[in-house]
Amino acid sequence: MSFISMDFALFVTAALVVYYVFPQKHRWVVLLAASYVFYGFSGVANFAYILVTTVSTFVCAMLIGNKGTEQKEYLKEHKESLTKEEKKSYKAGIKKKQRLILAVGVLINFGILVYLKYADWSIAYINLFRLSRFGRTDFIPFKNFILPLGISFYTFQAMGYLVDIYYGKYEREHNIFKFALFVSFFPQIIQGPISRFGELAPELYKEVKFDFNRIRSGFYRVMWGLFKKLVIADRLAAYVTETMAQKESYKGLYILLAVFFYSMQIYGDFSGGIDVAIGVAEMFGVKLHENFERPFFSKSISEYWQRWHMTLGTWFKDYIFYPLSLNKGIIKLGRLLREHGEKRYGKDSRGLKKLCYGFTQQLGKRIPIYIPMFMVWFTTGMWHGSQNRYVVWGLFNFVFIVLGTELEPISLKLVERFKLNEAGFMMKSYRVFKTFWLMSFLRIFDISRDVPSAFQAFKYIFTQWGSFNIVNVYENLSLPKEDFIVAVIAIAVMFIFDLIQRKGSVRERIFRLPVPLQWMMLSLLVTAVSVFGYYGPGYDAGSFIYGAF
Amino acid sequence: MDTVIEILKGVHPEIDYETETGLIDKRIFDSFDVVNIVGELMDEFDIEITAEHMIPENFNSAEAIYALVQRLEEE
Repeated sequence: MSFISMDFALFVTAALVVYYVFPQKHRWVVLLAASYVFYGFSGVANFAYILVTTVSTFVCAMLIGNKGTEQKEYLKEHKESLTKEEKKSYKAGIKKKQRLILAVGVLINFGILVYLKYADWSIAYINLFRLSRFGRTDFIPFKNFILPLGISFYTFQAMGYLVDIYYGKYEREHNIFKFALFVSFFPQIIQGPISRFGELAPELYKEVKFDFNRIRSGFYRVMWGLFKKLVIADRLAAYVTETMAQKESYKGLYILLAVFFYSMQIYGDFSGGIDVAIGVAEMFGVKLHENFERPFFSKSISEYWQRWHMTLGTWFKDYIFYPLSLNKGIIKLGRLLREHGEKRYGKDSRGLKKLCYGFTQQLGKRIPIYIPMFMVWFTTGMWHGSQNRYVVWGLFNFVFIVLGTELEPISLKLVERFKLNEAGFMMKSYRVFKTFWLMSFLRIFDISRDVPSAFQAFKYIFTQWGSFNIVNVYENLSLPKEDFIVAVIAIAVMFIFDLIQRKGSVRERIFRLPVPLQWMMLSLLVTAVSVFGYYGPGYDAGSFIYGAF
Repeated sequence: MDTVIEILKGVHPEIDYETETGLIDKRIFDSFDVVNIVGELMDEFDIEITAEHMIPENFNSAEAIYALVQRLEEE
C-alpha cells in the first residue's frame, strides 16, 4: 500500500480510530496489528522474512542478555573469592560466547538481505567469469527476487538493536510482541528513518492520550511531505529521465538542469516520504528521529552526510565505522607501520628518508580512520543498489571526504593568506555552493545507466551550452512551461521554509497564529497539494526512490 | 593518571595536560589522534572502548580520559 493513496489515508484513519478507542495501556497492540496489516498488503509471503528477523533477533538478544545476567550473578556471588585476573578471565569467556551469538544473529539477518539483494549481481559476475575463463555458455539463471518491503530498513534497525544489547547499552525487550512492533512499525518501514531501540521503544510502548493538536500537527507534517513529493519530486521526474535518456541530443545546460532538478527531486521524494512517516507516527503519539537537517546548506561533504539521511549515517558510524576503527587489529596495523617507518628511516633522517619517515608516520596515523571509512562508503554504495555505479558513487564520496580532510590545512592557509573572513557570508556561500554541486554531480551515477554512461553525461555538461533553448525543455523533455513555473516556485517555497526552520519549528510558529489564520495556512497547503500535485500520465505515486533501497 | 598523560604526551608533547580542558573543543586533537590514543588506552589498561564512549566529553581533558578508563576498568 503506497503512502500516497486513498487506501493509505483510509487505513491510517481507521487505525487512529481503533487506537484511541482502545484502552490507553494496550494501545501499542493496535500499532502492532496495524503494522502487520500494512505489511500484509505488500504480500503475505513477505511475512516469512520479517518474522525470521524478528524471532532470530529476539532470541539472540535474549541469549546475549541471559549471559549478561549469568555474569552479573556469578560475579556477585563470588565477589570476595575471585582475584582481579580471575574476574577478567571469566568476563572474557562470557564475552566470547556473547560474540558468537551476535555473529549468528548478524549472519542470519544480513545473510538474508545480502542473498536477496545481491544474488543476481553475483550470478552475473560468476557467469562472466565462467564464460571468459572456461568459455562456458551454460549460464546460471538469475533468481529475480523481489525484495520484501522495507527489508533493508528493518534489518538495519533490528541488527542495531542486537549490537546494542551485546554492548550492554540497554536492557533487552522481554516481550516478543513489543519487539515485533519495534521491527515493523508501519510509518517507518518503507524508507525509514532507521530508529534506535533506546529512542523508539519508549515512544511505542508509552501510554498515549488523545490530543487533537498533535493529530493536527502530524497532519500538517504529512501534507508538507506530500507537497515536496507530489508538487516537486514527481513533477521533475520525467524531465530528469527524458534528458538522461537523450543526453546525446540534449547536452550542456539541459544536463546541468537535469542534475539540479534531480537533486531537488530526490530531496523532495525522500525527505517528503520521511515527513509523511514522521507525521503519521506523530498522530499516534510516536516521535520518530529526524532524517534531514537542511542538507543543501552544508559547507562540506562530511557535514552534508551528517544532515542527509542522518539515521543511516549514524547507523554506519556506530555499527561499522567505530567497531572497525576501534578494532585492536586495525589500530595495531597503523602502529606497526609507524614503528616500521621509524626503524627503517629513522626519526632524525634527512632528504628522501625524512620524507619516507614522515609519510609512514602520517599513513600509520590515518589507517584506523581511512580503512573503516573506505568500508563505510563501499557498504553505503552497495546498500543503494547492486550495481557498480553505486559502488563507484560511494568510493567517490570517500575520495572527496579524504581530499577535504587532507586539504583543509591548505585551505585554511589560503583563507589566512588572503585575509578572507571564514565566518563571513561570502565564504559560507562559496562552501555551500561547492558542496551542493559536488554532491549533485555525484548523483549523476544515480540517474545513469552505468558507470561509463555517468562519466559521459558529466563530460556532456561542459559542451554545447549555446544550443540551449528553453522551448525544448517545455516541448520535448516532458516539463511543460506551466509545470516548469510551478516546480521553480515550489522549490523556492521549500527552501524558504527550510530557512525559516533554522530558527525553530515552522508548525509551532503557525500554531501561535490566530486560529483562523492557522486553518487558512492548512487549507492553503492542502489546496497546493491537491491542485499542483503532479498527477500526470504514467504517474505512479507509490514509487518512492528510497523505498527500493 | 601518569600513564594516561604519558600516552597523551606521545601524541602532542607540547600540551599542558594538567590544565587543558578543551582537547576536542579547541581541536587540539583531531579524529586521527583520538583513535590512536584510544588504541593505546585499550592496550595499556586492557579495556574495551566502544562507539558509545566516543563523545567529546570523554576526551576533552586528561582527567576526563582517566575517569573513562577508571569507569571501564570497574565494569
